[in-house]
Amino acid sequence: MNSTLVSRNVFLCVVALFIASCGTATFTKTGSDATIESLRNFELAFIDEFAVPGKKFNAAAFNGKVNEGNAKFQQAIADEKFTARRPVLVNLKGQFDADAAHLQSKASRGKITPALATEMKNDINKTYDHALGR
Amino acid sequence: MPLAGKKKRKKPSGKKSELDSALGQISDESVAATKEEFQDLLSQAKGDTSELVRQNAEELERRLVLLKKRKIDKEDFDFFVENQKRDLRVFIDSQPAQQQERAEKLTLRVLEIAAKVAIALI
Repeated sequence: MNSTLVSRNVFLCVVALFIASCGTATFTKTGSDATIESLRNFELAFIDEFAVPGKKFNAAAFNGKVNEGNAKFQQAIADEKFTARRPVLVNLKGQFDADAAHLQSKASRGKITPALATEMKNDINKTYDHALGR
Repeated sequence: MPLAGKKKRKKPSGKKSELDSALGQISDESVAATKEEFQDLLSQAKGDTSELVRQNAEELERRLVLLKKRKIDKEDFDFFVENQKRDLRVFIDSQPAQQQERAEKLTLRVLEIAAKVAIALI
C-alpha cells in the first residue's frame, strides 16, 4: 500500500517537473524570439535611416549606429539561453555586418537607389523569418 | 523543407517573362550555352516543390530584371547573390544526402551561372 503511494507520488513529481520544464522552455523560447524580433526591427530601422537615395552620408552617425548594433548582437548572443540558437544569432550578426559594409560603401558614394533599399529589407525579413523557423 | 525528387515544371504560359525578353537580347555567342543552362535550371527551380528553392529563383529573376533596368548595379547584384548563398547553405546542409546534389544545382549553381549571365545582360 505504502509502496504504491510512494510510486504514485514519485510519478506525480516527475510529471510536475516535466510540465514545469516545458513551461520554462516555452517561456525562454518566447524571450529568445522576442530578442530576434527586436534585432530585426533594429536592422530594418537602420536601413530606413541610411539607405535613402540622395541623402548626404553622415559617417559619424552611421558608425554610431553600427556600434549600437554590434553591442545589441553581442549582448543577444551572450544572453541566449538556448545554445542551439547561438549559431543562428551569430549568422544574423554576419548578415548585419555584410549589410552595414555594403550600405557604407554605397551611401558614402551616393549610390543608393530605392530598389536597393527595398531588396535589402526583403533579405533581412527573409533571413529573420528563417531564423525563427517560419 | 523537402526537396522534390523529380522535376516539376510550371506549364509554359506562352507569354515571355521580362527576364526571358532581356535574355533574348543577349547576342554574345560565347555565353549562349551558359544562358541556355541558366534558363533551364531557373525554370526547374521556379517549379520545384520546395518553397525555399522557388523563392530563391524568384528573387534571382527579380534582381536580374532590376539590374537590366539599372535600378540596382552589379555591386548590389553580387551582394544579393552572396546573401542568397549564405542563406541557402544552411538549407542544403539540412537536406538528405541523396537530395543535396539536386538542391545545390537548383540553388547555388543557378546563382553562380547568374553572375555570368548578369555581365552579358548589362
